Amino acid sequence: MTAWGVIIIVGIATFAMRFVFIALFGKVGIPQWLERSLRYVAPSVLAAIAVPAVIAPNGIVTLWSPLVPAAIIGGLAAWMTKSIGAAILFGMAALWLFQWLG
Amino acid sequence: MNRAKESMWLDGARSVSPILLGVAPFGLVFGVTAANSGVPTLAAWASSFIIFAGAAQLSIIEVLGTGGAAIVAIFTAIVINSRHLMYSADMGRYTSGLPMWRKVAMAYLLTDQAYLISSHRFRDPDKSESFSSFYFGAALTLWITWQVTTTAGFLLGASVPESWSLEFAIPLTFLALLIVAVKDRPGLVAAATGGIVALIAIGLPYHLGLVAGALAGIAAGVASERWST
Repeated sequence: MTAWGVIIIVGIATFAMRFVFIALFGKVGIPQWLERSLRYVAPSVLAAIAVPAVIAPNGIVTLWSPLVPAAIIGGLAAWMTKSIGAAILFGMAALWLFQWLG
Repeated sequence: MNRAKESMWLDGARSVSPILLGVAPFGLVFGVTAANSGVPTLAAWASSFIIFAGAAQLSIIEVLGTGGAAIVAIFTAIVINSRHLMYSADMGRYTSGLPMWRKVAMAYLLTDQAYLISSHRFRDPDKSESFSSFYFGAALTLWITWQVTTTAGFLLGASVPESWSLEFAIPLTFLALLIVAVKDRPGLVAAATGGIVALIAIGLPYHLGLVAGALAGIAAGVASERWST
């Protein structure tokens, strides 16, 4: 399947999820088990993407790399400021520093 | 448009402006990394208005750009966006009187930020009437910011040298979103489980480890909530 196919399918599904209860509320409510599960979607998926990308960027676990301390610094910046921009700024600056130090 | 409505639009746009400081670099990074990802540029760029959800768009670039299967990219993005069901269910309680075209526009423009910034408005009964104008002011400002910054990122993308390792901005963005999303102990359990399972399952083909981590994390979060109450 092409990238276009992926993007159009996700686009339709995303609109449907945004629209369903705005359109149908009163007739259909959200089931409780679903509401409970949805609360943990963000932390689960985000960690499942971020952790391997930092610790095993090439599919092999590599703790000794500039990525790990750079991610810790970016993570601390996010934690203190709650800002994605700060995480990117500090994380990238740390990465360049650690790469330069070799 | 009457005066009161107009001022609510402006009020919404104004309230959202501090958040734009976080959205703008995210949009730039998405554009720059997507332009260099190997995913067809026009399709990746169009995702900004076809999908209009940063984390899901970025996950598609991450999965397809590193050789993952299309079905995994679709699954991951849909799971990431499933949180919109929650927002939709909450907003639906206050939108039943609106005309259909407004509901459609409202749904298309729904984002974490637009929902969060207007949610306290529609809980307040005195303000519920004007909340739809407030919401559109905020949501449309976010939409325009996203289109402009992602497009700027795509235009800049080609001129960013590889030695800048800008692809690392993708995990950094997800890490920042993660840290903001973890609010309590079950959330932390979900994140830890999701990360560890994805790492253990990293050898699975087509990035299926990501799917395994996501599902395990959600299950662990629900289980942890049940045990702690």
